[in-house]
Amino acid sequence: MRVAAAIAALSLLAACERPAPAAGDRENGRLLLRQFGCGQCHRIPGVADAESDIGPSLARVGERAYLGGVLPNSPANLAAWIRDPQRFDPRTTMPNLGVTEAHARDMAAYLQEAK
Amino acid sequence: MRRVLLTLAAVAFAGLLAAGALVGGMYDISATDQHLAPTYWAVDTASRQSVKLRARGIAAPPLDDAARIERGLALYRDHCVQCHGAPGVAPEPFALGMTPSAASLVHTARTWTAGEVYWTVRNGFKMTGMPAWEFRLTEDELWDVVAFVMAMPAIAPVEYKRRAAAAPAPQRRPEPARPADARRGKVAIQQYACPICHEIPGIVGANKPVGPPLDGWSRRGVIAGILPNNPANLERWLREPQAISPESAMPDLGVTERDARDIAAYLSTLR
Repeated sequence: MRVAAAIAALSLLAACERPAPAAGDRENGRLLLRQFGCGQCHRIPGVADAESDIGPSLARVGERAYLGGVLPNSPANLAAWIRDPQRFDPRTTMPNLGVTEAHARDMAAYLQEAK
Repeated sequence: MRRVLLTLAAVAFAGLLAAGALVGGMYDISATDQHLAPTYWAVDTASRQSVKLRARGIAAPPLDDAARIERGLALYRDHCVQCHGAPGVAPEPFALGMTPSAASLVHTARTWTAGEVYWTVRNGFKMTGMPAWEFRLTEDELWDVVAFVMAMPAIAPVEYKRRAAAAPAPQRRPEPARPADARRGKVAIQQYACPICHEIPGIVGANKPVGPPLDGWSRRGVIAGILPNNPANLERWLREPQAISPESAMPDLGVTERDARDIAAYLSTLR
């Protein structure tokens, strides 16, 4: 567990494209959501300190019809939204955090199941 | 004592059977399955008596003014004829198949008072397609419609068609500004069908997660990811979402200024 966190932090520091399983690694996604500070703006069940109400809560976000009010929800679209929100809504205050494709896929995998 | 226990057991068993029938999908929800005569009688009587009770003491303004009746006719033509029909005019095809079907109002004024018609138009009918027009028309316009409904029994089909073709589109008349009313906003949220897409504390409805849940709204920092959250901005967003986010799935619901202010006031109470 601690090793996984260390690996995640290291891979983040290196900012390298890491080969990821197609479906995304949920546990890694949970760590990444914390590392990228998503909880500064969102409530995310299971992610430490993610209790902010600036943006909407991400509890059960996998059941939602739209992401950011503009993009039909799917795991692939959620990952795409995380990577580049301005691509879908140029006015959104959600920042582009420079998330890699593999990391976005892991975050999306975790959020799909976040209750 | 034993008889009491047996009766209770029988009632509980019947209740279980009824619940089982509901959960098991035995109730035929199709619109082609007509109500049983006793069901129809019960619903009809309950609604008629409910209106009579609630409309007591409603004082109608003078309704025989020809200009008011003409304005009411134009409003009726634009908003009511689609489901209720008019002298010599059928409802739209979608309304003909409703269960229950909307009443023919050609006959209504013969047995209903103006106050009863006003109450019904203003508040709508639960479990039918009749909405509460309080949230669509101004107070003055409600009475215009009532004036026309009360005059309808004396209007021949050819006369209705001639007048409906001639009446100009009603001009919206602004309502006086009122302070924000959170309690009215709670009703307005239901009337604009917000819970078909949002989960909102205090509002019973589908609560489908089409959009984000609105619990704890007063703590929310940003509206639609764009606007800082405050009542004035929320009012703007509710009235014209596409003006703020052209890409948004949130539709323009035609929310009036007063309703938007009241809805914003209710949401601001959610902590």
